[in-house]
Amino acid sequence: MKTTLSRRQFIKAGALTLLGTAGAATLGGLTQKAHAGATHQEGHGGHDAMPSTVGEVDHARNGFNPSDILTDFDYGEVSTLESGQTLREYRIVAVNKNIEVAPGIEYPAWTYNGRIPGPTIRCTEGDRIRVHFTNGSSHPHTIHFHGFHSAEMDGVPGAGPGLIQPGDSFTYEFDAEPFGLHLYHCHAFPLARHIAKGLYGAFIIDPQGGRPAVDHEFVMVMNGFDVDFDDANDFYAANTIPFHYQMHPIQIKVGEKVRIYLVNILEYDLINSFHLHANFFQYYPTGTSLAPNEFTDTIMQTQAQRGILEFSYKFPGLYMFHAHNTEFAELGWSGNILVSE
Amino acid sequence: MTDQSIPQKKTRSVTPVTAVLLILPLILLGGVIAIFLNNNGGLRLSSPAPVEALTFERSVLKPGSIELIVRNASPQDVTLAQAIVNDAVWPMSITPDATIPRLSRATVHLEYPWVHGEAYGITLFTTSAIPFATEIPVAFTTPYPDQQTFLSFTLIGVYVGIIPVYLGILWFPALRQLGRRWMVFLLALTAGLLVFLGLDTLAEALEQASLVPGPLQGIGLVGIGAVATFFLLDAISRRQTSIGKSESAQRLSLAYMIATGIGLHNFGEGLAIGAAYSVGEISLGAFLVVGFIIQNITEGLAIIAPVLRDRPTIRQLALLGLVGGAPAILGAWIGGFAPSPTLAVLFLAIGTGAILEVVYEIAKLIQKDTARQPMPMTVFSGILAGMLMLWVTGLLIK
Repeated sequence: MKTTLSRRQFIKAGALTLLGTAGAATLGGLTQKAHAGATHQEGHGGHDAMPSTVGEVDHARNGFNPSDILTDFDYGEVSTLESGQTLREYRIVAVNKNIEVAPGIEYPAWTYNGRIPGPTIRCTEGDRIRVHFTNGSSHPHTIHFHGFHSAEMDGVPGAGPGLIQPGDSFTYEFDAEPFGLHLYHCHAFPLARHIAKGLYGAFIIDPQGGRPAVDHEFVMVMNGFDVDFDDANDFYAANTIPFHYQMHPIQIKVGEKVRIYLVNILEYDLINSFHLHANFFQYYPTGTSLAPNEFTDTIMQTQAQRGILEFSYKFPGLYMFHAHNTEFAELGWSGNILVSE
Repeated sequence: MTDQSIPQKKTRSVTPVTAVLLILPLILLGGVIAIFLNNNGGLRLSSPAPVEALTFERSVLKPGSIELIVRNASPQDVTLAQAIVNDAVWPMSITPDATIPRLSRATVHLEYPWVHGEAYGITLFTTSAIPFATEIPVAFTTPYPDQQTFLSFTLIGVYVGIIPVYLGILWFPALRQLGRRWMVFLLALTAGLLVFLGLDTLAEALEQASLVPGPLQGIGLVGIGAVATFFLLDAISRRQTSIGKSESAQRLSLAYMIATGIGLHNFGEGLAIGAAYSVGEISLGAFLVVGFIIQNITEGLAIIAPVLRDRPTIRQLALLGLVGGAPAILGAWIGGFAPSPTLAVLFLAIGTGAILEVVYEIAKLIQKDTARQPMPMTVFSGILAGMLMLWVTGLLIK
């Protein structure tokens, strides 16, 4: 929240404006009368008023659709090393790209592979990971993975290759561990801007043998955009586009098991949260254990915190999910799950 | 300034050569413009982000809805993309269109369940991701022209304009008994009052000018309105002298001019009060009403000062009071129902010019009256007393 209402100053200014116009004074009784007709809560417009953007983002021009990002897992090019270890190779290119982050509002974003969030990298614990990174943008960038790796592969300035300059390439290589839900992001400085501009993505390491089977797996990266560059977010979302899942509900069936990989990368705000309506979920913080640590309907994450949610719905209907920082919810981070029989 | 005072020049016919010489710079100007429109004349004129300006002219609150009237004050079209009300993205509809041409207006309509007495901050984002914010400091249903509010605004005008002016005029019979020196003192007092009112009106005009969209050049409008009015009234007064009106007739028309100037001032006050009332920007109290009546009673005094030695009819006095006071009612209506900073600036500027011209007329009258028997201290003390009177009574209402 950045608007500060100047009610007090206003009343002062009001007094000044009345320079020589103080006849206003006469209005005591009149004002009372004029207000008499006003109800306490001013009436509804006939339908349920609720926050929403107007119009629809041009997903084709953006090059990605949040509905697709939910289930878009990048397992890489798979091969087997001589040692028998599975090798997964990924290609990531950093590009400057204007993204329509709310209908009608273009944001000069920095992206991995032209999308925000970047590709969801998915592998299994113990796999060899090679990420061929090319900086196709006009600024130096890196990829910093959360997880075990050597200092050279940390993707920070001053270690290993350090900043990858525009036009340069580097291959980040490490073994995938520990299993869990992680993330990656650019670690060039100024860091807040490099993250806020869109350089981040989810990084899932499945345990050997995988997690128990479910009917749906969805990825949600909670983010926001500061479109006027005042270091405060103007719009919030899961997977970039405000209210996307409110306008395009996620569709499941009664009794189906759902797993959500939830990552918070929100810049400028201290915490983010997730609340599921009419339901509870098992929560696996960071996904590093196969046993849930909480059964709840609301969790909180600071930046780079993440966790796995598992639930199913008993009853059909339309159910909201949103940040329970209600300000974020009303500024875009709100969606619906449509449960059918 | 009258036509007769300008010496007639011998008219010469325009030769073809003169015509070409007249037109040549214009042709060259066309060429220069063409060059700039084609290739910017070699300059790099594109800016990294478009320069956008949006002026909020008015907000109208009805049960369940907020309407914002905005004007595009930027050098090019502006397209509105999203609205945020108190940190919630809110659906909006825009008439006539989300794209607002330069200097045009549009109405942003929000179906929003606002609550009486609370405060709202509204941000409109353009497609260039530029935010424009306005606020509704105290929400209440905007008065709309029904019988009740119409009556309210009329009453405002009566209190602000009519009553004090007529109370001042009621001094007429008493003041007629005064001697010459006191008459001069009263004229000087009137001049002092008017100087004070003129400054006040000018200050109000300049303040309003800051609310006018940039391209309409509010300050320029103040200058045009004030200067044009000043010289127009000057021309009228000179014409009256030149066509041989009697001195008493001239004094009566001076009284009318004073009444007109004060009327315009009161019109401006009405505008400001009406506008303040319609946005709830009013702290009310009987104390202020009293202060206002005390201050404006001097306006009636100013109107009758030039005609004290004459015998104006009751009808004329009534008319003078009406001219001086009634515009406050009109101002309150306009300010309350259709406030426009641009219109307000124009009227206030006209008021400034009128009042200052009247000061000039009074100065001439005083000069005439004191030609044989100068009384500089009377004039000085009168002017000072006039200004102090408004300053002191002003303490009551500020």
